[in-house]
Amino acid sequence: MFTFPIAGIDAPILLLVLVGLTVGIVGGFIGVGGGYMVTPALIVFGFPGYMASGIDMTHIAGKGVVSTIRHRQLGNIDWTLALSMVAGTMLGVELGVRLLVYFKTLGISTVVLLITSVVVMFVLFLYTQIETRRAHIKLKEMSRDGVEMGRELQTSNLPRFFQNIPLAPIMRCRTARVVVSMWVVVAVGVVTGALAGFLGVGGGFIRVPALVYLVGASTHIAVGTDLVEIVFSGGYGALRHSMEGHVDMVAVLFMISGAMLGAQLGSIATSFVRGPAIRYILSYSLVLATCGAVLRLLYVLTGQSVEILSLFAVMLTLGEMIFLCLFILSLVMFAQRHRKGKWVPDWVPPLVMAQKRS
Amino acid sequence: MAGPSKLRARIKFVFWTAMSVICVGIVVRSHVTGQMASWYYYTAALDGYAVNAKAFMHATAESPAFLEIGPFSRLDGLQAVRVGKGDRLPANANGIIPVEVLEAGKRASLVGDQIRVTIPWQMQEAKGFKYKDSFMHKGIQTNPWAAVWNVVMVIAIGLSLGFMAEGLTDALGMRFEKISHFQGH
Repeated sequence: MFTFPIAGIDAPILLLVLVGLTVGIVGGFIGVGGGYMVTPALIVFGFPGYMASGIDMTHIAGKGVVSTIRHRQLGNIDWTLALSMVAGTMLGVELGVRLLVYFKTLGISTVVLLITSVVVMFVLFLYTQIETRRAHIKLKEMSRDGVEMGRELQTSNLPRFFQNIPLAPIMRCRTARVVVSMWVVVAVGVVTGALAGFLGVGGGFIRVPALVYLVGASTHIAVGTDLVEIVFSGGYGALRHSMEGHVDMVAVLFMISGAMLGAQLGSIATSFVRGPAIRYILSYSLVLATCGAVLRLLYVLTGQSVEILSLFAVMLTLGEMIFLCLFILSLVMFAQRHRKGKWVPDWVPPLVMAQKRS
Repeated sequence: MAGPSKLRARIKFVFWTAMSVICVGIVVRSHVTGQMASWYYYTAALDGYAVNAKAFMHATAESPAFLEIGPFSRLDGLQAVRVGKGDRLPANANGIIPVEVLEAGKRASLVGDQIRVTIPWQMQEAKGFKYKDSFMHKGIQTNPWAAVWNVVMVIAIGLSLGFMAEGLTDALGMRFEKISHFQGH
């Protein structure tokens, strides 16, 4: 146990490092900050709610930098796309926060917040899951027919629609190989930023699918590019929380020490898999987070009288982190076995890269 | 090795390890010396009494805590200092008992030249989760430079740890080349 003078509590250091590690793996792999997982965990450890959000947001900024450095090395970042989105994202976050404040004045912020979370996450889960399953089946067929499979395969027609919007100026994103109107990129930034600001999260789980399905970036590039956004949005969030005195830097330090290792593992793990594998993990994280939000919504709607709902929500959130980590690590392990010609389950080969050189 | 030479990778690793140690050292030093806490608990954001909320966390209605009011420059245990909005907080203060709370008399009340605390904390809810809400952190204003310092430090730590890890894998000869996103295997 360690006494945190700013937060005013005693909390176990090892658990903070472990939370940082697990959320680092997940965040580095699917390009999210992981705020929807970390905040409840910190509350369970005894941190006050406002401080849990502040610590989480500040650690996300640091972890985002660590992941960005590794994704840059792997060539997963399209800087043109990332920097074009930043302004839109910042504007969106501010709009989202103001919308939240407005709902707070009406006295219904918690319910509206949870309902919005559930709807947004469930819709994203459904679309990602259906599309990824289609891509997985197609990859299986290609594998069976002996056709060469690429790093990425996505079956959505949405990117074509958005890339055909002829609004000048048109951007050429060389790394992502995307030609799209700058206004589409800015609009994606504003909308995803507004949702993130309103829900009080970094917004990675909204931005990654948006970059894949609206802008048309490959999943790996969407992950890397989104992490650049997270550095900016996390840094801005950290500044705002710090100004309110909601950040304990010592707790942040412990979490970053775990997140550093986790972010390395998660980022490097992306080089072992194809795009649909990342989208599968993203969709599972979305459905588990949706279930947690539904339980919390039920808890709030029942007048906070059914304590077991809150308990289940916390358990689900903590279980989600462990489940996603194990899933990612097992994919890497299967990829290694597949490369060596050893047995792997049937669903694995279309999702992992067969050769070591990327 | 695909990228830089091993010597360059080793220099990179050593340099960024040193930077990481310096950054982490700065944070730890400011924690140990109490500078971090004094930045956080900087001024009063409302009228009330500056207290060290940890000193009376175990008070109850049956066994209340009595805080001695005085012009202390440092709070040692059960002490309180009258502060107005914008006043610098005394050392060791980590929260304010607002005047309104004392007037309501439910959680704390003025008894002569003492403050009687009966409910030092209560359960609150945030984002559907319950947490223990105490007087700690109530009504305090953080030094704005502390916020800038936090962000600068967290980015500096992220940068140094990130490049340190990159230097380490390069020095160990682990190959992390750029992914060919548009070629099949």
